[in-house]
Amino acid sequence: MADGALLRGTGIGKRYGGVTALDGVDVEVRAGEVLGLIGPNGAGKTTLMDVVSGAQDLDAGTLTLAGRPLAGAPWRRARLGLARTFQHPQLASELTVAENVLTGRLAARHSSVRGMAASMLRGLLSTATGRDECARLAADMGLDDPGRLAGELTLGEKRVLEVVRALAQDPQVMLLDEPFAGADATGIAAIMEAIRTVRRRGHGVVLIDHSVDLVASLAERVVLLDSGRVVFEGTPEECLASSEMRAVYFGGGYDRT
Amino acid sequence: MTVDRTRPAGALRRPPTAEAEAETEAGARAGAGRPAVGLPRAADRWPPLLGAAGLALVAAWAGGSAYHQDLAVLFAVYALIGLGMYVPFVMAGSLSMAYGAYAGIGAYAVLVAQVKLDAPFWLGWPAGCAVAVAVAVLLGLATARLSGFFLAAVTLLFGTAFQRWLVASEDLTGGASGMAAGAGPAVLGWHPGRGVLMAAGLLLVWAVAWLVDRLRRGAWGVTVRAAREVPLAVESCGVRTRALDLLALATGAAIASMGGALFATFQAGVTPETFTLDIVFLAVFMPLIGGLGTSWGAVVGALVVVETTVNLPVLDDSGKLVLTAVVLAVLLVAPNGLLGYLDRTRRRFAPGAVRGGRDGARG
Repeated sequence: MADGALLRGTGIGKRYGGVTALDGVDVEVRAGEVLGLIGPNGAGKTTLMDVVSGAQDLDAGTLTLAGRPLAGAPWRRARLGLARTFQHPQLASELTVAENVLTGRLAARHSSVRGMAASMLRGLLSTATGRDECARLAADMGLDDPGRLAGELTLGEKRVLEVVRALAQDPQVMLLDEPFAGADATGIAAIMEAIRTVRRRGHGVVLIDHSVDLVASLAERVVLLDSGRVVFEGTPEECLASSEMRAVYFGGGYDRT
Repeated sequence: MTVDRTRPAGALRRPPTAEAEAETEAGARAGAGRPAVGLPRAADRWPPLLGAAGLALVAAWAGGSAYHQDLAVLFAVYALIGLGMYVPFVMAGSLSMAYGAYAGIGAYAVLVAQVKLDAPFWLGWPAGCAVAVAVAVLLGLATARLSGFFLAAVTLLFGTAFQRWLVASEDLTGGASGMAAGAGPAVLGWHPGRGVLMAAGLLLVWAVAWLVDRLRRGAWGVTVRAAREVPLAVESCGVRTRALDLLALATGAAIASMGGALFATFQAGVTPETFTLDIVFLAVFMPLIGGLGTSWGAVVGALVVVETTVNLPVLDDSGKLVLTAVVLAVLLVAPNGLLGYLDRTRRRFAPGAVRGGRDGARG
């Protein structure tokens, strides 16, 4: 099992004061795999994404990406090949669609201070650098007016744009936090296609969504979280049929110890 | 979905090929066609041309009148300080108030080079830039965890302390009476006249405004502007936002220092009172008056500031009052600044223009 693991978290713990948000979570994403992360509200799904991406610090456990330790500020982790989207879309509302994508692209190419200074100088020579490619990436995902301001997009379009920005980073592992919430049919189709593309490239995807059906249709494996713990891990079919799934979503008993 | 990263930039500007048409269909918005990308080319061309025309008008107005030349250079100095503040303030969103100090560094560098080191004046220009950049980076590192009000307050304090230091360090700066160069600037034995220096100053404003505008719309500028609004997202893309901010602060300091150097070169003198906090407060308003959406806004704002506070006033010191009225009027009538107002009016007659992103637009 160890060989194919791109992203691995071992014994991940996170506490907020007296509340345990994550309690000894082991998670693994393999190359070319979509890992679905499901669970009720407050199960710790978004917290897990935050500690993996560096938005929040870990209290316990270790993380590796392609065998290298994944630690430090978010930008360090992103440079190792991690990209994410947010439960509440984080886009620069006063920049255009293409410009928001450009942010992800700049990071992927010129992340050092020297690289950034070089990119400043290149910007003086040509402001068009990368815009066309970013506009193309966005158009491929159905956002075909690259000049629109991100603030004017619908929630669904914003989610698509976040996925495009993440794709522009050409990540090894992409973390998607509820990408389908609020997206219309076109957006959902575009995001599903993006997920398949990342998978085809042999990269990994972690997918959180409340729509268990959507997750099940895309994921190779599903991890069911409840109260900060992994209560089930397996194929979507196994998970949907499991007693843990019924217990978490419909109440009743399973052995929580 | 296929992403061809080898496709050359600019490919999308070609007339749509069958392949591009097919992709547009895949984009699933009927009738939209392949969109124009980025900014319309006209938006690239017109601002520098109009800016050049405006600056030429200023030069023509100044003509041979010594007083008008003084004003034109003062406008150029203000414009450079305003452009310097534009980069960290409008683009990166960090309100550092140390710009009087950076301009002072540039001005004193020119005079220290001439008076103390007996070196050519122009050596003071790069030296001033280098010192201002170093100070800005150190100050930026020291205030790394501050933002908003606290950053403004601490940098304001620094500006005041710097002024005191200028007065106290008599050996280097000439103390309270400042410094004066015996002769005007000379380049290889040639002494350019005041008119030439003024024209060079206005040309410098044009070049810096043009460069800052390009910087703003390049990948780096776009990322700086994104980091102002959604820092976590930009960090999560792999960008060290602290480094972005420091680069912005350093760039702004270098530009403001050139403003000071221009003043010292033209007037062949400077005192600790030349670049006070007054100028910093005026510089904050320049982009607001002219418009935040382009660096040319700071230039237009500088023109308005010089006109209202220096040229127009009939009564002593009534200028600030006039300026206050102008600022209020602009904020009420044209919340996107004068250029933003013009741009909007233009769009009414040319609908469908593809926009670039804007900054701090509020209307």
